[in-house]
Amino acid sequence: MTLTASERARYQRHLALTEIGAAGQEKLKAARVLVVGVGGLGSPAALYLAAAGCGTLGLLDCDRVELSNLQRQVLFDSSGIARSKAEAGRERLASLNPEIRVLAHALELKAANVCAVFEDYDLVLDGTDRLSTRYLVNDACVILGLPLVSAAIHRFEGQVMTYVPGGGPCYRCVFPQAPEGGVANCAQAGVLGVLPGVLGTLQATEAIKLITGVGEPLTGRLLTYDALEMRFHEFRVARRPDCAVCGDAPTITEPRDPAALPTAAGPAVRRLTAAALHELLRDARAPAPRLVDVREVYEFSAGHLDGSINIPLGELPERLAEIAPHEAPVFICRSGGRSLAACELALRAGVAAPANLDGGLLAWAAEVDPELNVA
Amino acid sequence: MSCTVRIASPLRSYTAGAATLAARGSTLAEVLANLEQRCPGIRFRMIDEHDRIRPHMRLFVNTSEARELSAAVREGDTVHVICALSGG
Repeated sequence: MTLTASERARYQRHLALTEIGAAGQEKLKAARVLVVGVGGLGSPAALYLAAAGCGTLGLLDCDRVELSNLQRQVLFDSSGIARSKAEAGRERLASLNPEIRVLAHALELKAANVCAVFEDYDLVLDGTDRLSTRYLVNDACVILGLPLVSAAIHRFEGQVMTYVPGGGPCYRCVFPQAPEGGVANCAQAGVLGVLPGVLGTLQATEAIKLITGVGEPLTGRLLTYDALEMRFHEFRVARRPDCAVCGDAPTITEPRDPAALPTAAGPAVRRLTAAALHELLRDARAPAPRLVDVREVYEFSAGHLDGSINIPLGELPERLAEIAPHEAPVFICRSGGRSLAACELALRAGVAAPANLDGGLLAWAAEVDPELNVA
Repeated sequence: MSCTVRIASPLRSYTAGAATLAARGSTLAEVLANLEQRCPGIRFRMIDEHDRIRPHMRLFVNTSEARELSAAVREGDTVHVICALSGG
């Protein structure tokens, strides 16, 4: 795939690099890269890949641009609010580099469509904000034999790793299973706006290296970044022979939606949104649920829901007797992670139908009572 | 044995926001028990009821992964607690 005169001018600084040169730039032109999740990570990754001349770039995201995205999602501007991220991003990239082809996939990734979408690409970048989607993306890449550059962020910290088929470990080798309750995303925990800029550009760097075949990919290594300490750490990670998807005897041989995945918890934990719990508490006909706040004492003291009792998670195994077996407790914490661990523990101890306040008190403060002080 | 424990960002609600803590112990089990005394509840976020490292957590002693709580920790080591992050 030879370069036009216009392309030679545009990519002159790449052509000047002996490691890339015309041959590498032609590989970039022929490459087809899919960016899954066009948010904080996907924005810088897509911008740099478009600028670098990645010939076909797919943007997959089912969300629309919101004002609160603009603090970090640099692919969009204020005029794009309420537009499809995939569409708004496609226009922005087409304007940045009309030499490339940009495809918008404004859809929710599911087991039923993941292979059909991925099959048209050579490489995938994962920057989603949902842990369950990360496993779906990883599993599909392993099954289809696609390289994957996966990154994630939380507050001031990020992590990134690269999977190459037939080589090192996949994401599931490093983190075999998602926690039952998930972990807090950016909306719940907050995030330094520039943080995904660092991680997203690392993803783009890895993609360009993989496409052009230069350098040493980040395979078999988990790279973490702490913006507050301005430190990178690198950890050796190995392929697990017992990995459910890339191991010697895989049990996941086709992509599955998270609901279909077996869980260690057995019976399902009831999941309540803040709005659903609010309705439940207001319903005079329904028995009042037992609200169990599993945060630490200092967090509880700063602010809590009326009528809730405080049993810090670490004390729960010894204090489960304080919850009557028939009470169907609702476990509560700051963002929904500890409380889900509490649900899991309660289920195993025989407590009937424990419920989790998804998103925790942060969601409650955002959706129901902004006056609630959440430590 | 004295070591440093680096805490994953999602678990810092247990450490009053501290990224690193000093701890004592010659095995990972002892270090985590020591940590638990000062940060109640933190061990359960990493280790399940069967003393297994939770599948979304990884523990490293310096740069080497520790898959068992019996892993040795030496004077001056750093134990890194890594958690699967979901933000994007």
